[in-house]
Amino acid sequence: MSNYSLLSPTAHAKLKVITERGGAYGDNSMHAMTFPFEFRDIQSNYPIFFAKDGESGQFYPLGLFGFQRDENLFLNGNSWDASYLPLMVERNPFLIGFQKSTDDESAEKRPVVSINMDSPRLSETEGEALFNDNGEPTEYLQRAIHNLQTMHSGHEQNKVFIAALLENDLLEPFNLDITLKDGSNNRLEGFYTINEEKLASLQPEILGQLHQQGFLQAIYMVVASFSRVTDLIAKKNATLA
Amino acid sequence: MSKKISRLVIVGGGTAGWLSAGVIAAEHAISQSSDQAQNHHFQLTLIESPDIKTIGVGEGTWPSMRTTLKKMGLSETDFIRECSASFKQGTEFSGWTTGENDNYTHPFTAPQNYNDTNLAPHWQALSEGRPRFDHAVSPQSVLFADSRAPKQISTPEYACSVNYGYHLDAAKFAEFLRKHCVEKLGVKHIKANVIAVNSAENGDIASITTDADGDVEGDLFIDCSGSRALLLGEHYKVPLRSKKQYLFNDTALAAQVPYVNPDDPIASCTLSTAQTAGWIWDIGLPSRRGTGHVYSSAHNSQDKATDELLRYIERTAGAQAAEDAEPRKINFDPGHRAEFWHKNCVAVGMSAGFIEPLEASALILVELSSNMIAEQLPANREMMDIVARRFNQKFLYRWDRIIDFLKLHYILNRRQDKYWRDHLDPDSIPDSLKELMALWKYQGPWHRDTNHIDEMFPSASFQYVLYGMNFETAPSTTIRRSDLAGREAAAELFQKNIKQRQQLHAAMPTNRELINKINTYGLQKI
Repeated sequence: MSNYSLLSPTAHAKLKVITERGGAYGDNSMHAMTFPFEFRDIQSNYPIFFAKDGESGQFYPLGLFGFQRDENLFLNGNSWDASYLPLMVERNPFLIGFQKSTDDESAEKRPVVSINMDSPRLSETEGEALFNDNGEPTEYLQRAIHNLQTMHSGHEQNKVFIAALLENDLLEPFNLDITLKDGSNNRLEGFYTINEEKLASLQPEILGQLHQQGFLQAIYMVVASFSRVTDLIAKKNATLA
Repeated sequence: MSKKISRLVIVGGGTAGWLSAGVIAAEHAISQSSDQAQNHHFQLTLIESPDIKTIGVGEGTWPSMRTTLKKMGLSETDFIRECSASFKQGTEFSGWTTGENDNYTHPFTAPQNYNDTNLAPHWQALSEGRPRFDHAVSPQSVLFADSRAPKQISTPEYACSVNYGYHLDAAKFAEFLRKHCVEKLGVKHIKANVIAVNSAENGDIASITTDADGDVEGDLFIDCSGSRALLLGEHYKVPLRSKKQYLFNDTALAAQVPYVNPDDPIASCTLSTAQTAGWIWDIGLPSRRGTGHVYSSAHNSQDKATDELLRYIERTAGAQAAEDAEPRKINFDPGHRAEFWHKNCVAVGMSAGFIEPLEASALILVELSSNMIAEQLPANREMMDIVARRFNQKFLYRWDRIIDFLKLHYILNRRQDKYWRDHLDPDSIPDSLKELMALWKYQGPWHRDTNHIDEMFPSASFQYVLYGMNFETAPSTTIRRSDLAGREAAAELFQKNIKQRQQLHAAMPTNRELINKINTYGLQKI
């Protein structure tokens, strides 16, 4: 459940955020959205695929953590066994929102930081403080805000990235049938990946364009990340031991 | 050597003209001036009168329209946005059986596992209190009550969770197709009136003289000029065969109705409500509803028919809407031409024939006709007569099947009005339908009733109408081992259907929600 409230030094003066990982803190998700600027780090740990947002049908890239709902094979008790934590995971329990600064309809909306008051990460006794005694943001909160801003530009970048992929027919639906060591068959459905044949046949001027936009590297990061599926299967098999 | 067929001329715009142009040009590449040198030469010209308003018949399509649009290279998102289109999942019939709150639906999805299992006898064998046939065998009808969509925003263009066609604004549709045909497919558009049809020595049409653009020569002429049938009717005098003795309706009063609130639900079906001497159609588009009363002028006066329509509008959209409604009268002679392809001229659309809009047979016939022309486009004049003969055979058969199927809707009624009693008169029922009814009393329709591979109405459609109107097929007189064996499988399918209904209902957005999302985000191509 989410119950976002605008972050304020007065209302949330005493609030702390528990930063350790774990299912109890809502980390047991099968995947999380990611952004081209972190693909290099993502692909060294997780397979990158694309999925459609249920509300809008729009594509977004994601890092895959497991093969079924609520399965995160990187969670190990209270730790997340990977060299990089996706920004979308790390940002919890904060969210960037937009607010009109005045009543003027034409005024630009400014970004504001919200916090999920129902998050199990919130505490008054343990974790990282948000504000110091003077009501100023702590270093922890400053970093969190910086992450939110980065993610905000990442969302915008995703839109352009996806549009470029679709325009060049570079996405294709993808199903993966996995046989685990206990003999059970699992099917990964509803995801999309880069169509490598189409990629290989792109005209030089299109490649140049994608390179200029900074997307060519991102595309190859996605292609490279496919090997991480093998790692993920190994992790899954290890749980069956 | 016989003359090559390389210049097609369509006479008439409107949905029939532009749909035919699109279907044919999607199959046969129109040559650009640059590649004419390479001995590839194919031209498609459409002559449209700037003075004649299109009648805009047919605001409901069959699911086949999805394939038709896709083949033309059209985006479904653009189509939904530009043609005020919504999703049609079937037809709901009210008052057709007794006139007292009776209701059944004909959904586009066949009964569960229809290829292998005939659920109808198993459904009939269920005890009293069984669910309605359409509810028991198909998951689709669960979406109708609260106007739900056949897909989600994440479902790609033209794909679906349950089968669907469209409701659309016919005028916008013709314009949408025109733009695509001219800008993308290379169809030449001439805005002019036809003033003469010029014959060749062999009786073919050699050219059309227009007022604004001189003579237009052609090898094959497609008559899409509407019920006037400028080429096939006026020029060639191919007679219209009236079918009024079977289907009495010959007048329609059409009226557009606004929604009470702009975000009112958009119905998932064409609503068809029986009246004293005809029925009222009600088609929900995102922007408005299109309604109309189609009736028999021999059984009803225009005043009374108008009154019935206005009362329907009042009941469904309020007194103000009824007061504002301006019903437009359309007369038609129900029937079709004695043949459709004569010499080098083929009629598509109302020029070929028109029977009341029940089951939306108008646009599907345009699709089927233009598809056959595109697929079997004669290579030369010599071959054309053979293709013409096959075309005529096929479409005469199809018209007969349409008449049988439409008539079926009328012959199971227990209403008291003279119109409805007259429909039960054996003389008003085609022999082919009489024979089917006699058969179905003891042996319900299933795959054995499909004579042709491209039959227009699958046997499932007959099942929905028959059992929707409480028709009884007698149980088998012998104990059939196959029935015993199939009983368990049938019970499982009924259970599966219940489960699918729940899942569909939970997963599908309303039509309004989905169309709003399509307007905002668009559908994905994959």
